[in-house]
Amino acid sequence: MAAKLYMFLPETAYLLMGLVLFLLSLPKEQPGGRVYVWALCLSLLGVAAAVAGLPQKGLIFFQAYRVDLYSQLFKLILSVAMFLVVSICWPLTGVERRYKPEFFLFLTTCTLGMMLMVSAVELMTLYLALELSSFSLYILVPLRSGDNIDIEAGVKYLFIGITASCVMLFGISYLYGAAHSTYLADILEKLPLWIHQPAAAIGLLLTLSGFFFKLAVFPFHFWAPDVYQGAANQVTTYIATVSKAAAVALLVRLTSLTGGTSLYLSYILIVLCVVSMGLGNLVAIVQKDLKRMLAYSTIAHAGYILMGILTMNELGYSAAVFYTVAYMIMNFAAFMVVVKLASQGQDLKISDLAGLHRRSPLLALTLMMALFSLAGIPPTVGFTGKFLVFAAAMQQGHFWLVLVGMINATISLYYYLMVIKAAYLAEPETEAPPLVIGMPTRLLNYLLIVVMAYLGIFPQQVMTLAENAVKQLIWGS
Amino acid sequence: MNPVAPSDFVLWLTLAAMWLPFISFLTIFFITRTQLALSLAVSVSCAAVSLLAAWYLLLGLPAAQPPVEFKMLWMAGAEARISYGFLLDPLSRLMLCIVASISFLVQVYSLGYMAGDDGMAKYYSFLSLFAWSMISLVVAPGLLQLYVFWELVGLSSYLLIGFWHHKFSASEAGKKAFVMTRLGDLGFFLGIIVLLLHLGDLSILKLNAQAAAKLSAGLVTASAVLIFMGVVGKSAQFPLLTWLPDAMEGPTPVSALLHSATMVAAGVYLVSRLFPFYAASPDALMVVLAIGTVTMLLSSTMAMVARDIKQVWAFSTVSQLGFMLMGLGAGSYFAGVFHLTTHAAFKALLFLCSGVFIHHFGSNDMYDIARGGGRRLKVPMITITIAGAALAGVFPAAGFFSKESIMGALAGLPQPGWLAAGLAGAAMTAYYTSRLLFVLWFPRQIAAPHHEEHGHGEAAAHSAFGYWAMGVPLLILAGFALVLGFFGDGILNFLHWGRPPEFFHHVWLAPVSLILVACGIGLAWLEFGRKKAAQAGFLSRLPAVEALFANRWYMDAFYRCMLDYVVYGVFSRLFTLNDRRVVDGGVDGVCRGTVGGGWLLSFLQSGLLQYNLFTMVLIIALVGLYFLVMH
Repeated sequence: MAAKLYMFLPETAYLLMGLVLFLLSLPKEQPGGRVYVWALCLSLLGVAAAVAGLPQKGLIFFQAYRVDLYSQLFKLILSVAMFLVVSICWPLTGVERRYKPEFFLFLTTCTLGMMLMVSAVELMTLYLALELSSFSLYILVPLRSGDNIDIEAGVKYLFIGITASCVMLFGISYLYGAAHSTYLADILEKLPLWIHQPAAAIGLLLTLSGFFFKLAVFPFHFWAPDVYQGAANQVTTYIATVSKAAAVALLVRLTSLTGGTSLYLSYILIVLCVVSMGLGNLVAIVQKDLKRMLAYSTIAHAGYILMGILTMNELGYSAAVFYTVAYMIMNFAAFMVVVKLASQGQDLKISDLAGLHRRSPLLALTLMMALFSLAGIPPTVGFTGKFLVFAAAMQQGHFWLVLVGMINATISLYYYLMVIKAAYLAEPETEAPPLVIGMPTRLLNYLLIVVMAYLGIFPQQVMTLAENAVKQLIWGS
Repeated sequence: MNPVAPSDFVLWLTLAAMWLPFISFLTIFFITRTQLALSLAVSVSCAAVSLLAAWYLLLGLPAAQPPVEFKMLWMAGAEARISYGFLLDPLSRLMLCIVASISFLVQVYSLGYMAGDDGMAKYYSFLSLFAWSMISLVVAPGLLQLYVFWELVGLSSYLLIGFWHHKFSASEAGKKAFVMTRLGDLGFFLGIIVLLLHLGDLSILKLNAQAAAKLSAGLVTASAVLIFMGVVGKSAQFPLLTWLPDAMEGPTPVSALLHSATMVAAGVYLVSRLFPFYAASPDALMVVLAIGTVTMLLSSTMAMVARDIKQVWAFSTVSQLGFMLMGLGAGSYFAGVFHLTTHAAFKALLFLCSGVFIHHFGSNDMYDIARGGGRRLKVPMITITIAGAALAGVFPAAGFFSKESIMGALAGLPQPGWLAAGLAGAAMTAYYTSRLLFVLWFPRQIAAPHHEEHGHGEAAAHSAFGYWAMGVPLLILAGFALVLGFFGDGILNFLHWGRPPEFFHHVWLAPVSLILVACGIGLAWLEFGRKKAAQAGFLSRLPAVEALFANRWYMDAFYRCMLDYVVYGVFSRLFTLNDRRVVDGGVDGVCRGTVGGGWLLSFLQSGLLQYNLFTMVLIIALVGLYFLVMH
């Protein structure tokens, strides 16, 4: 029993963290930074628990919950990303003071939901975990305070989210109908035989839509621009980084159920991939708001990740996992700059970046590095990620898809460069004072720059880790 | 001999020698740039550790042990594996030691020379970058790594030549150096690609051992000649030799570094590095020999008429590099490398001495320096004379021995013409070197002693620290320039793993060349040295020839014309037209289309929730329909 509980260690840590934060939210008067310090320490504890849980392996909770390198790696990624996001939540501008403990509480439950999600191997468990993380986000998004903020984004997020959930449940019902079981292990046995039946293929695709929603893949992307812009900057950072990892983890796990045999499914995925890339990149060009632009770029990146997934083989999956890690790092770097720059928690126009290289050369450098990485310029981690994904697709013979991907990468370079141009070349209308950033933030900046460059040049270790994790997927054991 | 893996100690020592300069570069450039003293301390101490490591690697390891190779896989593809690492064999150990020593001495010397310059910290960071690139080039185990650092050497010399970039001529010279060497590098890179395509492996050891067996003779010659194009650019050989004299615009210690152990030496080093590969193709060796000879003769003539002290040395570098290539081209690995070694010592010394004069008198013109009272500066005056003797090939200075070994190699060739050219070059070298020395020693009028000393760089030259920082490297190098020649046999044994090839000594050669050198010196004495000499060379009586030499055989003018009429006039114009009409027009069209597409789609991306949801459901329905229809 103790061994089984030990398998549940990261989740237990997060449960504990949620409990503490809940207790902290009870008093009426909220003292300044105490919650932040608690949240920071507890999320660090969460990282430690995730590291400790890394070598665990086994099935618990009536075989519905599977602990292996794949799930544990994702838990580690989630907890590290969570820690980073929490670390930039001070001062927490853009959220009303009395809601601050709740803010951290819901971040915790959301991450907990995702952790449960990456381990769930039974459809109902999976669905409940997904909803736990989604509902937390439904609350986090409208928590924002400030002038001219309405709850449109929150409502939109909720509606699109529940529609995606409906579609997903509908899909699950098909899968159950086909396999007479909600356990992925049973489905795995029957699905490859059934996958050529429309019911099974449609069922699987609709089941995926819950995660397409999280990843903002076309046609479930409509929430992204409004939510990115309408949520507090820190929440957007969370949505743009942490919640992508879980979505990719599940997309990989579920598509692997087919054993890579379904041509039609991959055709559909190709279409979704192409449309996501094209739509995201084209619309991003005309955006004036930085977060909105990054939202559209997210849609495009979801397309790139999908390109790795749709190959449905080990190479493509590990490329997609690597890309996800890369994407989280570079996106976090970009959003960190946004958070630091918007000192009042306001939305940033791209033109607000003018003169950034004088106000804070370090932030400007981090931003440039992050954007070059997002655009896929060597020797950054973004280049390596794109390269791996493209190579995996190429190996499956998707030449045209890769070509479209490359054209899209070129288009994306345009709007990323516009931002860099604003930060480095544009002269501000009124000279703003230099941005003072503290030592921890400086260190974080250096760290991000070094990691983005290091993983771009020496991707081998992360690559190997991703490969080993992917080998642990259901069909691997 | 099969390579062995390094012991832990050797591994870390070599890595330290390689990477400390880079760490120093990073530290200075990004962190300590504003704190001058700290930056200097970082840079010089890193260079010192690197120096100690290099000397240990040269002397501490047994001479005859098999090459030590360390490789880390950097990238692997289906056909080729690219690794990073180092290779320690006699040649790279010797060269590593030369590079580390010269760059350390130059850094010490610069403490005095650059004192008071605003960009001194930046200057030291570039020096460190330079040392790192050159050291990594020297120990590279594969051609690709060598090429990467070859380009980095080019980049750092560009940064240093153009260091005083507010001077227009300095930035122009930096640009010229960069562009001309790049021209050669194009050939080098093509050569690498040819080898990679046919061998799939760029390891230097394998290339040297197996290329002749695995490739056809024509292919070996072709790739060797292509790679040699890089050497021509880097080592300023004919026809790409005019960038080097212009590279004088950088600070003088940079010239010392550039001309002795790094940059230009890299070219000759590459040919020595690949010597067995070159030796596999007699035709390629012949190309090397011919280019070396032509360059040597041309640049010697240019040095005979130059007045700028640094230019004289620059032309002499070009011609001495020509000598080295002649030695290699004549088939003697030892002769080329030995001359490279001695030349590094005396050429660095020549520049550093000249640096003292230039620093003191604020002029590059040898007559100005002489009139200013150059000969009163005792230490540089004596050391420059020693270095000059070494350059001219006077017994017993180092240059005599190394030049003798080259002449010996040339005498072994069936055609006597090469030896004649070499001897003529030696005589000319003696003539222009002693011309400069006599002008310095026996000025016609001397200004009053205290007149000039309040000029340029006064504070630095007068502080005791600055004086010794500049003086001590001179004395050390002078020591090397004097004694290095006697280590010839040692180096010969060392380079050939203790089994030197049979060497045929021509007994008559040494007296003949000494006589020729004496003739050169004598002529210079008649014209510049003795009391009543007019201090005008015999060439001034042949104005046409003098103009030809002084204008560098009109090579620059030729390049200018080519640039103006052919490149700018024809190609640039056509390409510009094409650019404007076709490319720009096309790209603009595509861009407008793309942005327009963005606008269009953003309208479709309406904010109304009901349409969003409708679209979602519609697309799901379409997907379902697709599956039904397809089955």
